[in-house]
Amino acid sequence: MTQHLTLSTRTTAAGTVMELAGELDHHTAPQVRDALPGLALRPGQQLVIDLKGITFCDSSGITALIAARNHALAADATIALAALPEHLARIIRIIGLDQVFPTHPTAQHAEDAWRTVSD
Amino acid sequence: MCETGDAADSRDPAPVDEEARFSELLEDSAEDLYEHAPCGYLSTLLDGRIAKANTTLLDWLGYRRGDLVGRMAFSDLLTVGGRLYHETHFAPLLRMQGEISGIALELKAADGSHLPVMVTSTVKTGSDGQPLLIRTTLFDARDRRAYETELLRARQEADQERDRLKLLNTTLQKTLLPPTLANVPGLDVAAHYHIASVDEVGGDFYDLFPLAAGTWGLFLGDVCGKGAAAAAVTSLARYTLRAAAVYDPDPAAVLANLNTVLNHEYQGTDPRFCTVVFGLLTPDPDRGGFRITLASGGHPPALLMRADGTADYLPTPGGQLIGALPDAHIATTTVHLAPGDTLLLHTDGLTEAHTTAAGGEDRYGDEAFLDFGHDLAPTTASDTIGAVRDLLRTFGTGVDDDTAVLAIHVPRSLSEEQQ
Repeated sequence: MTQHLTLSTRTTAAGTVMELAGELDHHTAPQVRDALPGLALRPGQQLVIDLKGITFCDSSGITALIAARNHALAADATIALAALPEHLARIIRIIGLDQVFPTHPTAQHAEDAWRTVSD
Repeated sequence: MCETGDAADSRDPAPVDEEARFSELLEDSAEDLYEHAPCGYLSTLLDGRIAKANTTLLDWLGYRRGDLVGRMAFSDLLTVGGRLYHETHFAPLLRMQGEISGIALELKAADGSHLPVMVTSTVKTGSDGQPLLIRTTLFDARDRRAYETELLRARQEADQERDRLKLLNTTLQKTLLPPTLANVPGLDVAAHYHIASVDEVGGDFYDLFPLAAGTWGLFLGDVCGKGAAAAAVTSLARYTLRAAAVYDPDPAAVLANLNTVLNHEYQGTDPRFCTVVFGLLTPDPDRGGFRITLASGGHPPALLMRADGTADYLPTPGGQLIGALPDAHIATTTVHLAPGDTLLLHTDGLTEAHTTAAGGEDRYGDEAFLDFGHDLAPTTASDTIGAVRDLLRTFGTGVDDDTAVLAIHVPRSLSEEQQ
């Protein structure tokens, strides 16, 4: 069974959007962690993790999301999750992380929400 | 580097001298070339009898020319295995193809020692195309054999290392689990740990132990990740939980303590966390059975299978995983365990297991596990663990994460059973 994760980032006025697709697990989570230091986040900006294409996420995947949150907070930025698949939303709920990760239906919604707050 | 005049002189002989020496070297007789070639030469008649052998080969084998020529056959120089191979493969192929090359054989020297060689033979034919004799060259293959032996030895060593690692992993795993669960008066307990891979230590853990004044502590959890780093967190979590419970047995306080320890220890880009359920068991003298307060840090809910045959999860909504956040919220719930009730704690290796060997998106899931509880209730601790083991067996390789289960059951007293 080969496992793949595709990762791409784009910059918006609100900050950075990281799009993840595929399996986020023990094998692929380091890809996300390694990409974090390269993100240019300014204070007050928002890091959005777009999870629309995620088919599987285990505890190592959750670790990567927490590392992303730590990275954003260290830069005085915020974090939000976008387009959570139902199975991942359920896991996030069980482990209580829905309280620390604002979630949005799409990355665009996340960006709009950031504008509303910062205006 | 400085060049002295002497050095320059010695590198500069007259060109005429050089040419003379070179041609002298080349006036090497064909006879000498044959006799002292860097390989063994052998000519045999068609029936295999040796007609000619060069000095190189004679020296290797320690024979005199007279010992071999006209007296012995090529196959007489081979070991028993080699002779067999020569009869069944080498000779027939040579007859058919007129040549055969690169065959590894062992020669037997006069002193009985063995010499590995690479053998190439061609059949010399007369002008009429009739075969006349067989010419054979033999190359010393001792280095090659030594290399092969070395490869084999390295391979065996690697296999042994792998076995040792597996043993180490299994041993390490065992040290993270209690050798036996404490015997709680009036309670029937059972547990099982399923190792998904012997190559990597998993991060599930559980324990059940006595606290002050007839109360008991128990926990079951799952550290994120695998391998030695996860095992270190597992070890830290276990000892912290036990120590914290002695200090203040309130389940929420125990988990808050663990959260502080893990959060301080692991921060930044390599966060380590676990999900865990901690329970405090107190005998209930008024109603019989026990009272249990469960605190959950982001762990899948416990499954309660009651004496009346019903089954339900005991959710602790809002509880957050332990170690990732500086101030994790911990949720608690308290239930009464009546005689005949069974409480089952599990890690998500079970509910996340693939239900078919194909390994698609078909995971077992919480609903199926609740149905499993319904079918089982009322039950006992050992029957529950037995049923879980059977269930894991049906998943086979579909269980790709370690799984820990811990069941506690309040047995009915004899008088209750008679009612």
